[in-house]
Amino acid sequence: MLPCGTFNTRPEEDMAIVRTKTQWLLIAVGLVFFVSLGLFSPEDWVVWLILLGIYAIAVLGLHILTGLCGQFSMGQAAFMAVGAYTTAIFESRYGLSPWATLPLAGIFAGLVGLLFGTPALRIKGFYLVMSTIAAQFIVIWILREWETVTGGAFGIDVPAIKIGGEKLSDVQFWWLTLGLLVVMLILAKNIQRTATGRRFVAVRDNDLAAEVMGVNLLRTKLVAFFIGCFYAGIAGWLWAHFYPHISPEQFTFKDSLWFLGMIIVGGMGSTTGAIFGATMLRIVDKTTTDYLAPVLKEAFPGLAVQIADALSLIVFALVVIFFILVEPRGLYHRFQRLRLYYQLHPFAY
Amino acid sequence: MQGFLVGGLYALVALGFVLIFKSSRVLNLAYGEMIAILSYFLIFLLDSLEFPLGLAIFLMFVAGAGLGFLVERSFIRPLVGQPFLALLMMTLMLMFLFQGIIALWKGGASYAYPFAPRGMIEFWGVSVLPGALWAFVAAIVIFLLLAFVFRYTKIGLAMRVVAADHAVSQSLGIKVKRIFSLSWVISGVFAAICGILAGLVWMVTRDMGLIGMGKGLVVVLLGGMNSIPGALVGGLILGLTESLGGYYRPELREIIPWLLMLLILIIRPWGMFGERRIERI
Repeated sequence: MLPCGTFNTRPEEDMAIVRTKTQWLLIAVGLVFFVSLGLFSPEDWVVWLILLGIYAIAVLGLHILTGLCGQFSMGQAAFMAVGAYTTAIFESRYGLSPWATLPLAGIFAGLVGLLFGTPALRIKGFYLVMSTIAAQFIVIWILREWETVTGGAFGIDVPAIKIGGEKLSDVQFWWLTLGLLVVMLILAKNIQRTATGRRFVAVRDNDLAAEVMGVNLLRTKLVAFFIGCFYAGIAGWLWAHFYPHISPEQFTFKDSLWFLGMIIVGGMGSTTGAIFGATMLRIVDKTTTDYLAPVLKEAFPGLAVQIADALSLIVFALVVIFFILVEPRGLYHRFQRLRLYYQLHPFAY
Repeated sequence: MQGFLVGGLYALVALGFVLIFKSSRVLNLAYGEMIAILSYFLIFLLDSLEFPLGLAIFLMFVAGAGLGFLVERSFIRPLVGQPFLALLMMTLMLMFLFQGIIALWKGGASYAYPFAPRGMIEFWGVSVLPGALWAFVAAIVIFLLLAFVFRYTKIGLAMRVVAADHAVSQSLGIKVKRIFSLSWVISGVFAAICGILAGLVWMVTRDMGLIGMGKGLVVVLLGGMNSIPGALVGGLILGLTESLGGYYRPELREIIPWLLMLLILIIRPWGMFGERRIERI
């Protein structure tokens, strides 16, 4: 909703994402805040921020695929793995520069996504979910067994990104992640507003009606798969450079479900929601593993070994269950309600 | 031969899925973890509390029924009428919940049942694991029992009507909610049986729940989502292909179910015996 006294009088104004001066100001302040966050926060929180950025990019991809186009994918982690391995293989075996592998990682992940998206031609809903689960397991199996190329279960080393001969520090890597995240965010936001984005939404809402109106279903779905997996590949590129060593165990089915949980918690069908969800679940995870688990470890020494691991699973499951039951439209919906309330404050509507 | 017998176990796992799906159109992805948690419960009863075997198994069955009831009542029923995928997500989250509980409770430890028979036995000229043979026999018996219940009893009739149409059966005076509960309870008991048999064939480990996702689901898709004979045939086929493929290249063993699943999804998504209900585009 536009603030009081602001009207769209020209087409450009109607199209603008950032509409008012206050919004520009908020964005500038927010960017400065996030950039400086890397400088002033403790080491482990910088790592947390980087991981958050990586997850957020993957979740944005899932947002396009699932939130906009309605094609559930439970294999996002596998597509991320494809991106990460593409990066690793091209850099360590063929000596490409990291900047050249960035688009390659995305494109390869996208192509693998297309491969597993083709069943979408015939099946939908739950059956498609099954085929993406199969994708998850098959991709990881291939990565583990094809030892001559991928290094098998042991994994593969990735050369670090160097700028001017120096390796990136964690803080610099956070800036890189942030920059990439912002670019991907703008891209996602704009994809939503193009004809393709509207076709996605049409397919999600009612595929039969969409087809009758002249939307090419197969092409739309495949484009959605490609874009969604492209994002996963970019996230994989970041992941591969952040952890200089990658192996198949880093990309499990569990991670795929984390991504899906994030868009459910955040609220489907909005980019902001995707970011909200990723942040929320990452915060919950961080607090349970770093603050809650040690306390419980003290309390129950008998369970000390497994408690952090088990607790993060349980808490994650409970949070998502809570959202499915109580607020199926996610945090973003709640946020919008809150904003509306403050905008209108003394009046109810 | 061994694979064929293990296929009986897969069929049993799949029956638990089919039963719930048939009545309430929910795919219970947490089923594998239910099996695992019940197996751990049995180990707990036998090892820590030292109950006699018969009582422990009986208690396990009761626990299975209770678990099924509780899950349906507290997590699934509030979502009746929601989109299918909300329910799917819910069962997936339950899977995590159970995994977490198992990890919290027992860590990564694995156990073998104390009553598990050792060694191999001769059967029709081939040596097989006794557990696999038991699993096969149990699968056949339960299949016959289910067929009987569905065909000749009143409850079975009610379940079939509910499977056909919820609204119609409600208006005919069948308590649809009670049937949902009932099918979850039965499926919980099945989970207990599967837990015992799977523990006999392999061991009770933390990854045991994967039998639900990796095997049961494939069998269900292979046989058709709502077909009981389909589950049996699908289970046997999966067991057979898996052991044949494993004989050819051991590392293939893991991937065969998934490839089979992808294949069936592309060729015949409704399965071999399933109802052709899914809307094609």
